[in-house]
This record gives sequence, structure tokens and C-alpha cells, in this order.
Amino acid sequence: MALARNIIDIAVAAAEKEKADRIIGVNVVVGELRGIIPAQLIFCFGLMSENTLAAGAHLNLETRPLLGRCRTCQEDFAVKDYMYVCPRCEGQDIEIVSGTELRVRDIEVE
Amino acid sequence: MKINVMTDILEANDRIAAVNRQLFDSHKNLVLNLMSSPGAGKTMLLEKTAQALRGKLRLGVIVGDVETARDKERLEKYDLPVVQLNTGSACHLDANMIASALPHVDLTNIDVLVIENVGNLVCPAEFRVGEDFKIMILSVTEGDEKPLKYPLMFRESSLLLINKIDLLKYTNFNLDEAKANARKVNPNIEIVDISCVTGEGISDWAAWLSGCYKRKFGTNSLA
Repeated sequence: MALARNIIDIAVAAAEKEKADRIIGVNVVVGELRGIIPAQLIFCFGLMSENTLAAGAHLNLETRPLLGRCRTCQEDFAVKDYMYVCPRCEGQDIEIVSGTELRVRDIEVE
Repeated sequence: MKINVMTDILEANDRIAAVNRQLFDSHKNLVLNLMSSPGAGKTMLLEKTAQALRGKLRLGVIVGDVETARDKERLEKYDLPVVQLNTGSACHLDANMIASALPHVDLTNIDVLVIENVGNLVCPAEFRVGEDFKIMILSVTEGDEKPLKYPLMFRESSLLLINKIDLLKYTNFNLDEAKANARKVNPNIEIVDISCVTGEGISDWAAWLSGCYKRKFGTNSLA
């Protein structure tokens, strides 16, 4: 619910800045590691956006997979089951390169 | 028309957390965000910590619960500054809630401030409150697979306290398996086994706290 509130606040602020009449769509990038349940977030967004510029807007969630980079051998790989182990050299010093995103990318207005 | 936004959803929270952090640093507070599921032993750990740190470091607590001031009543018996936050429907503490509690805390008389989060293994991991470290408790009655089920919280934590180890013989909890699972998710996590009932491991935990304080401020304890 707190996330839905923040998304609406960010989208409305951006729309007001451009003097838009209403928001039609909100595109949000969500990393796999965030553990967001899309149906729940979309439901909260729908309820909480009533009586705002974002009322009736479509919330589109673009999920990003959890990707790691081995700091030992520089291999990039998809992290499966949250196992931070390099498939090539079995190194455990892994940098997360994608999967922690949580941002409003853009909005569609008229 | 499309408008580019590119704003982090937690940016507003993180901005307030940074302000909280500055205030803590200027008062020489080491601040820990303590997270766990309900009933893992957060409040009892703080009771034991108050005793272990007495005469060494001055402890203060901000405690978050959905309802009641029971934790505050328990902790005040140890002569600690305690502020209770009731979150109502919210399942976690955020930076703004902590900012609203700070006028009620005398930070000048605190060395270690523990922010006891709402019992929950999911949402608290998402919100910075201005802490130096996130730490968490996993109790043996919860199961050794929890790090794999709730990876973000274990990933975000610097220290894992495995509590209730006096109950190991009554459960099918595998201590080695639990540690291996936690390290799969977070290879850098430090782990200390404790029992708040028998007191086992509490001195190790107190030593961890003192070490963090010393590394941050270059002194051992209160002047």
C-alpha cells in the first residue's frame, strides 16, 4: 500500500508539472528481488488513485530478472533460487546488476 | 503524450532516512534496524542487551508495533529511554515514522539506538530508516529454510542472530543448513548463535555491538 501511494504521488507530480489533464498509464520497473505481488499492487493502485489525476489509469509493471556478475571472473548470469554462486568459477563475490529496481519509468498522459 | 519520469519509488523515504542518519551521526549514535518475524525474540533480546551493555554503552530503543505499548512497558523496567510507535495498519516502519519519533528521544544520552521494527519478514527490508546496519533474528522454531523464502531481508542484513538455540533438541531445525542458506543469499552476513533464555551467545552479540561502535566512532564507549 505504501508503494502504491508513492507511485501515485510520483505520477501525479510529474503530470501536474506538464499541466496534463489526466494520467492514462503508469509504467513501473520492478526487480524480481523486490518480491512485489503484481495483482496486489495493481489492486491498491486502483483503489488509492480514485479522485486523483491517476484515476482509471492503467498500471503496467515491467519485471526485471535477478542478474548477477561474478567479481572474480566477470561472468554475467541469471541468479536462480537466490543462489549467489557463479556458474563458471563458483565464486561467491557476486554483484547484483539487475533485479533490485523499483522506479516509475514514465507515464502516459493527455 | 509520454512523460519520462525515472523516479525511484522509495526516493522520498530514502531522502528522509538520510536526514535521520545525519542527525544520528552528529549525536554519535550507532543505529541498528532490528527485524524478524513476530515472536522471534526481538524484545527479549533487547532486555538481555540492556543488561549486557550496562556501564559500557548507553542503549536506547524505538519500538514499532501495530498496536499496544507492551514492549515499551517491558523495556522501561531496564531504565532505558524507550519510544513506542504504533503503526496502525502499517506492517513496517519507514523513515518518516522514525523522524516523527525523534523529538521524543534524547539522542545525546544514547550510544546505541536500536529501532525494533514490526514483526514481519517482508516489508521492513524495503524501507531504510537512517540506520547504520540492518540486523535480524531467526529463531529455531521458525525453520532453517527461511533465508531462501524471504531472501531480501537476509540479503539486506549485516548480522543474523539465530535465537532460541536452547530449543534445538526439540525441533528439526538444522543449524548448519540454516547458516548455509543464509550465506547462499548473502555471503557476507555475520552469524551469531544465541539463547536469550540461557544467555548463551549474548556476550558475543554485545562484542559485535561494541566492535561496530568502535569502528564508527573510534572510541570504546561513553565518555
